Amino acid sequence: MNQYIVLRVVSRLLIPVILIFALYVQFHGEYSPGGGFQAGIMFTAAFVVYSLLFGLEEVQRAFPPVAAHVLSAGGALLYIAVGYATMLLGGNFLEYKVLLPNDQAGETFGIIVIELGVGITVAAVALSLYYSFAGRFVDREAGD
Amino acid sequence: MAVGRRRWVIEALIDIVLLTLLATVGIGIVVIRNLLAVTMLSGIYSLIVAVLFVLMDAVDVALTEAAVGAGIMVILMLGTIALTTREERVHGTGHNLLAFVVVLITGAALIYATLDMPGFGDPEAPAHTHLSPRFTQDSPEEIGIPNMVTSVLASYRGIDTLGEVIVIFAAAVGVLLVLGGGAVRRRRPPTDADDPAGEGRR
Amino acid sequence: MFEQLPALQVAITLTAAPLVMLLWKAPRLAWAITLASCWASLAVTLALFGAVADGGSWSYEMGGWAPPWGIEYRVDAANAWILLIIGLVSAIVMPYARESVEREIARDKIALFYSAFLLANAGLIGIAITGDAFNIFVFFEISALASYALIAMGSDRRAVLSAYQYLVMGTVGTTFLLIGIGFLYIMTGTLNLYDLAARLPEVSDTNTVRAAFAFLVVGISLKLALFPLHLWLPNAYSYAPSMVTVFLSATATKVAIYVLLRFIYSVFGFEFSFEELSMQWVLMPLALLGIVIPSVAAVFQDDVKRLLAYSSVAQVGYMILGVSLASALGLMASILHLFNHAITKAALFMAVGCLVYRLGGVSLRRIAGAGQRMPWTMAAFVIAGLSLIGVPLTAGFVTKWHLLQATLEAGYWPVALLLLGSSLLAAMYIWKVVEAAYFREPEDAGADVREAPLALLVPTWALTLATLVFGIWAAFSVGAARTAAEVLLGRGVAW
Repeated sequence: MNQYIVLRVVSRLLIPVILIFALYVQFHGEYSPGGGFQAGIMFTAAFVVYSLLFGLEEVQRAFPPVAAHVLSAGGALLYIAVGYATMLLGGNFLEYKVLLPNDQAGETFGIIVIELGVGITVAAVALSLYYSFAGRFVDREAGD
Repeated sequence: MAVGRRRWVIEALIDIVLLTLLATVGIGIVVIRNLLAVTMLSGIYSLIVAVLFVLMDAVDVALTEAAVGAGIMVILMLGTIALTTREERVHGTGHNLLAFVVVLITGAALIYATLDMPGFGDPEAPAHTHLSPRFTQDSPEEIGIPNMVTSVLASYRGIDTLGEVIVIFAAAVGVLLVLGGGAVRRRRPPTDADDPAGEGRR
Repeated sequence: MFEQLPALQVAITLTAAPLVMLLWKAPRLAWAITLASCWASLAVTLALFGAVADGGSWSYEMGGWAPPWGIEYRVDAANAWILLIIGLVSAIVMPYARESVEREIARDKIALFYSAFLLANAGLIGIAITGDAFNIFVFFEISALASYALIAMGSDRRAVLSAYQYLVMGTVGTTFLLIGIGFLYIMTGTLNLYDLAARLPEVSDTNTVRAAFAFLVVGISLKLALFPLHLWLPNAYSYAPSMVTVFLSATATKVAIYVLLRFIYSVFGFEFSFEELSMQWVLMPLALLGIVIPSVAAVFQDDVKRLLAYSSVAQVGYMILGVSLASALGLMASILHLFNHAITKAALFMAVGCLVYRLGGVSLRRIAGAGQRMPWTMAAFVIAGLSLIGVPLTAGFVTKWHLLQATLEAGYWPVALLLLGSSLLAAMYIWKVVEAAYFREPEDAGADVREAPLALLVPTWALTLATLVFGIWAAFSVGAARTAAEVLLGRGVAW
């Protein structure tokens, strides 16, 4: 796709904006619509756009598949770890209020951490799925 | 009163237009055999559904539907089409009577079920009188954040959300098992460390 | 920490799954962690089972939010029984899995494979333990997605296609389930199963609730492979890797049956399900057809795995038959059969896995002569086969005996005759396998085929002996099934 110079320039400008908007949706989810699920998908969308224009190999240099696989487990583990932490602090599973001395602050803190876990897993899984599909396509092209 | 009534009429008109579009797109997906077109239509379908969610004040759901249904889903389906075929192969007559009957019965059952439902937005509906009052009135105090949807999803029903994260993780495990990890082979020989799913074996 | 056990029951397996996924370079370690988590999970199950064996219940508030606002996990004699089935089978199948999986799955996918197994396992545990309708749906999704992937890993190319069939049918099933749950929420405003039970009678005479009931029953029936919605099952079980077939055949359909029982008895209640909607008149014909037709189909199969898969559909028929009798004794026989069939079928599929390990396949042609070459494996198959037929002193007999009593108590003597006839069919298809293995000459007489390795034989025999133990000492399983039936019916029963 080297010839599409307009697309390349526009996407160069757009990708940082998508990433920042994803971070906004992630960390502003307590105040406005959004949260980890939506942010994760948007975050991946930026990488997919990049890959469509500059090739799978380029994007895999920036975000290797193995990192995506590890992070997809890591986000889920972060979420579960919050559950264990609340149990160790004397609460029930995922009872965030015990995390901090103030109940309300504990709840808010817990939600921010688990939303981060959600975002990491969703972004990493969506990217892994994309790699799995696109990787086979590249493989086949090379084989033909 | 007059303003409220006019607003109601306009909303109903918008709903009718959107639902008609939705039905048209849905029929298009069933009838059209070109999979590329079907994929694009399914993206449009998701966008219309997202708009409907916005009209129902479910902005969080709308955002997800737009991002997943119109974004990632379309890309994955395009990837699949690139790997397989653009034209749907038709078996037999292309009509399956049994499937049609099942769909008709399901549709009839769904309509039958709506007859006794409380009206949309009815303040006396059980969904608004039983659990919701606590979620809407006490959650800012109990959780300390203004977005109640996040409060319910992440805290009151935290284990459900954990479950959904695991569902997504399970999707990754499943695809890695079946398709492999998709790492692009580089010039140097691949090492085990690069690919948990062993796509280097191909 | 003791009061946290209901959460740990799910959390242990749920934690192990992503951890194991990271160990792609160390398949043995992945196996060891999976094994450890299954045993830890079984230990938790036993503690829970002991705590509610007297018919009480143990409620746990997830996130510290009181139900119905938060999600409640509630363990009672009915779901502790299901947890016990899942826990026992996964604890016994894991030692067996190591060699079987190393033989059937590419080395670099073993860790992912175990991760998927743990996800399927955690999903089933979650479905059983939760007291929240939507939470049931979420865990159904987890176990279903993982199961599709596990089935697709079979070495035969048709495995992927059968996984796809299962995916389509399973997705329809869970969608129906979700529609049903949504309708219930619209009418009651709650998702907690016990809160639903309290609020449903007020609105039970509405189209919406009746439609919800229909969607739930059809959706769950797809999951539990009730005839004629069973079409996904024979392919899925025949082409899946051995260890997956053992695990899923013993647990997946059982958990779905539990969900059906929970909805029709605990949520909708006996009066609504059986007196207002008379669902016994839908279930009984399906159960009877589901016993006879798949049994006949099993007799005509040439592949042992496929033969046993059809037999599984027939066994689902027995369990539904017990429910359709609309009596305490029938319900108790069904619950009893969940357990007895789980151990019997798991033992049979484990023996089949041993044959696959040495012979590469289990068509009747391929297993010819196995009786002499693999005597221990085939002996286990024969004993577990006797239990499947329902011969006295085996676990299968205990259930058939109670089921027979329940049909006679209800006055359906033709059904009782049909039950005896279907045992005859079971004897026929088991005999087909025995005849091929013991009385036919192997085609490759010179080939060196040895007995399966001990790592496979010991778990197989553990379950085979269990079918005998629970056949002779039936007091435990009968007692537990009675308590579970009482809990589901919500009242004391004079047995």
